Amino acid sequence: MAGISEAQMKLFTDLEIEMTADMFNKMTQCCQKKCVPPKYKEAELSKGEAVCLDRCVAKYLEIHDRIGKKLTSLSQEDEARVKQMQAHLQQQQQPS
Amino acid sequence: MWSDLAKISQENKEKEFPKLTEKDVESFSFVVDNVIGYKKERRAAFIPLGGIPHIPRSREEILISSFFESCTFKATAACVVGFALGGAFGLFTAGVDPMSTMSTETPTTKMVLQEMKTRFKSYGKNFALVGCMFAGTECLLETYRGKTEMGNGTITGGLVGGVLGLRAGLRAGVYGAIGFAAFSTAIDYYLRH
Repeated sequence: MAGISEAQMKLFTDLEIEMTADMFNKMTQCCQKKCVPPKYKEAELSKGEAVCLDRCVAKYLEIHDRIGKKLTSLSQEDEARVKQMQAHLQQQQQPS
Repeated sequence: MWSDLAKISQENKEKEFPKLTEKDVESFSFVVDNVIGYKKERRAAFIPLGGIPHIPRSREEILISSFFESCTFKATAACVVGFALGGAFGLFTAGVDPMSTMSTETPTTKMVLQEMKTRFKSYGKNFALVGCMFAGTECLLETYRGKTEMGNGTITGGLVGGVLGLRAGLRAGVYGAIGFAAFSTAIDYYLRH
């Protein structure tokens, strides 16, 4: 692919914003469910809860990064294989 | 900041954007590479998320608040407060039950003050040591576990009581651990329930 058209650029930024917002929402829900017990008596975060939230966010972001990298590599492999198969089929069809 | 974002979104609605063709999105891996992969545009701007507008805290504010929440500060604060409280308790006991009741002569002012000073230091040191150890152990335990619950106080009491009691032998250590754990649980229950 030579360059990125403006329409594509807009699509990519939109997708990225939507993805980041979705990840943030899911992360807050998940980490709050894990780290903050539902019954509490004061508004301030205690030490244990703050520490747990730090660890939860760090873990979540790392998992997100790794899975994203795995997804890109898998989709690249998939597409390479599909192109190979298409080229093979075209080769087979041409002599006939 | 929010008014700027509102202006930008309004402009975007009025602008004419070129339409996407099918050829633009035919390659899934190309799209994925640009959105989450290595071709993604790395921006320095911070996109505010969450919907609730908040002023991001400055670096100094975060450092200061994290210092005041750290385990070392809590242990030192408990040590200082323990010394003061222990000293006050020592002075009180010196007034109520001084050693001079054993001898028949009336004590001079100098002797009374001397006894007050000794008791102040002795009780103060004991309370400071116990307070520092308890606060430090509890904070470290809570950091390690990542949970805030009533069991923390019991375990801390057991550990501190055991260590303090081991100075006088193994049996005293066991009794001290059990006693201090029970005492700590009672205090926690009263404070949190």
